Amino acid sequence: MSGYELRLRASLAARLDLSGVTPHALAGLSGSEVEHLPLPYGTARVPLGEVFTLMPASDGALLISGDPRMDFVGAGLASGEMMVSGPIGVCAGAQMSGGWLTIEGDAGEGVGSGMSGGRIEVRGQTGARLGGPLPGARTGMTGGTIEIFGDVGPLAGANMRGGLVLIHGDVAEHAARDMIAGTIAIAGTLGPQAGAGMKRGTLLLAREPLLLGPGFGDTGEHDLVALQLLARRIPQLAELLGGGISGRARRHVGDRLAGGQGELLWLY
Amino acid sequence: MNLNGVEIRDSFAEAFPMAGTRLVITAGTPRWARTAAASLTGFATSVIGCGCEAGIEGEIAPEDSPDGRPGISVLIFAMSLKNLKKIVPARVGQCVLTAPTSACYAGLEEGPRVPLGRALRYFGDGHQIAKSIEGRRFWRIPVMEGEFVCDDVTGSSTASVGGGNFLILARSRAAALNAAEQAVDAMARVKGAILPFPGGVVRSGSKIGGKYPGMIASTNDAYCPTLRASVESALPGDVQSVLEIVIDGLSAADVGASMRAGISAVCTLGAAAGIVAIDAGNYGGNLGPFHFKLRELMA
Repeated sequence: MSGYELRLRASLAARLDLSGVTPHALAGLSGSEVEHLPLPYGTARVPLGEVFTLMPASDGALLISGDPRMDFVGAGLASGEMMVSGPIGVCAGAQMSGGWLTIEGDAGEGVGSGMSGGRIEVRGQTGARLGGPLPGARTGMTGGTIEIFGDVGPLAGANMRGGLVLIHGDVAEHAARDMIAGTIAIAGTLGPQAGAGMKRGTLLLAREPLLLGPGFGDTGEHDLVALQLLARRIPQLAELLGGGISGRARRHVGDRLAGGQGELLWLY
Repeated sequence: MNLNGVEIRDSFAEAFPMAGTRLVITAGTPRWARTAAASLTGFATSVIGCGCEAGIEGEIAPEDSPDGRPGISVLIFAMSLKNLKKIVPARVGQCVLTAPTSACYAGLEEGPRVPLGRALRYFGDGHQIAKSIEGRRFWRIPVMEGEFVCDDVTGSSTASVGGGNFLILARSRAAALNAAEQAVDAMARVKGAILPFPGGVVRSGSKIGGKYPGMIASTNDAYCPTLRASVESALPGDVQSVLEIVIDGLSAADVGASMRAGISAVCTLGAAAGIVAIDAGNYGGNLGPFHFKLRELMA
């Protein structure tokens, strides 16, 4: 299986939808066939070759030069590796089920919306609804791993039902709203109104949460073996939270106003 | 065959297929990991009377354990996968969940699934928490001391083998016991196999049936030194004591490796240490499909 590099010919003048442009979808296609793939561009559909210059790349890989108007990059990715240099638009990695998507830049809203597997890595910042539901859908990500090295916008992990989100930067308001399951680890500060409507799931915090809603109750300080287990099985989680996880944490439970049993664990 | 003055008799150990699994018990200190493991593997010498056979396979250093704490690896065997699925959660629930600071993890990832936390989670009465990590599901069950962490399931091996054995025929009780202890120490280094009897040694080997109705097994009179004049004895005149070592393993190869390690340790002591012969228990080859021939094993 050969790989490709898609180099933008010029900055995008309208939104470009890259849904389904994945290493698997391009496997077995000739260069000419790839160049003639129709892409939704603004209100029209244009051949891929009109927007990108096609270059060969290592087997199974797909390299793309990004643009803030480039949407749904890696959407539906099931296997293989995609790397984006530069910023991209909305819903990168939406409904991914496998593979690896790396974005060397900022990403817009909806990164990893509805994803069920695979791994997304964003070296910059991301917009709202990280790991949340696709517009019109009710369920956020159910599996896989997202790692964000910058700050994250509002509603991160909203309606999340599984998987792991690692955030190195700060998180804006309404994180984990209506969260049902999964784990979000945050090295930076947690914004206000986090966990509203949270049913289950875990927020791991390197810094003390200062703006928790009234639905959260403090259960005190605990030694949690589960944290040591998490740190052993996910080395990047231990790294994110400062290296050595002792298992000691202050545990807040909520959102009790919604009958929830989610937890915020502040590791200190 | 004669090794260092010890006769290797032309006999074989007759063993049976079993279903088995490995569990890893960790705890805050080695003491409590060992306590939980000892409780879990207690009263598990023979399926005939205990429903399962179990033993400690070895210690696991903190750096190699699932949660970075001291651990003990144990093996549990039952006569069928169905029985194993009943016995494992029952024993973990009574012996590990109850032990302070302990946690219980799957030691096998392959093979048919045997429930751990999947069955025990209900003890959490709705407060239990499931956590999926890298494709593996764990349960956190709140208990008075804190939390009990447990894998959802463990794998198993239906190619397990139970009932591997050999007999140490010695000139005295002390010589037999010393040889058995040396064998047990050597066999403890073989992974994938356990010795389910007390300290790894059996003094009361059995034959099938007996004179009393309903007896599944009774004393192996042919190997009892005090019955030499009363029954058809299998013992040479200079043998005063016999000890047996029984081995269960996750595979026939594991059982064979363990037997070889044990017999080698006994033969290293040799005739000078009062060892006369190595023999094995079998039922004429009619019951168990696995035959570990002593002379082939030690060739």
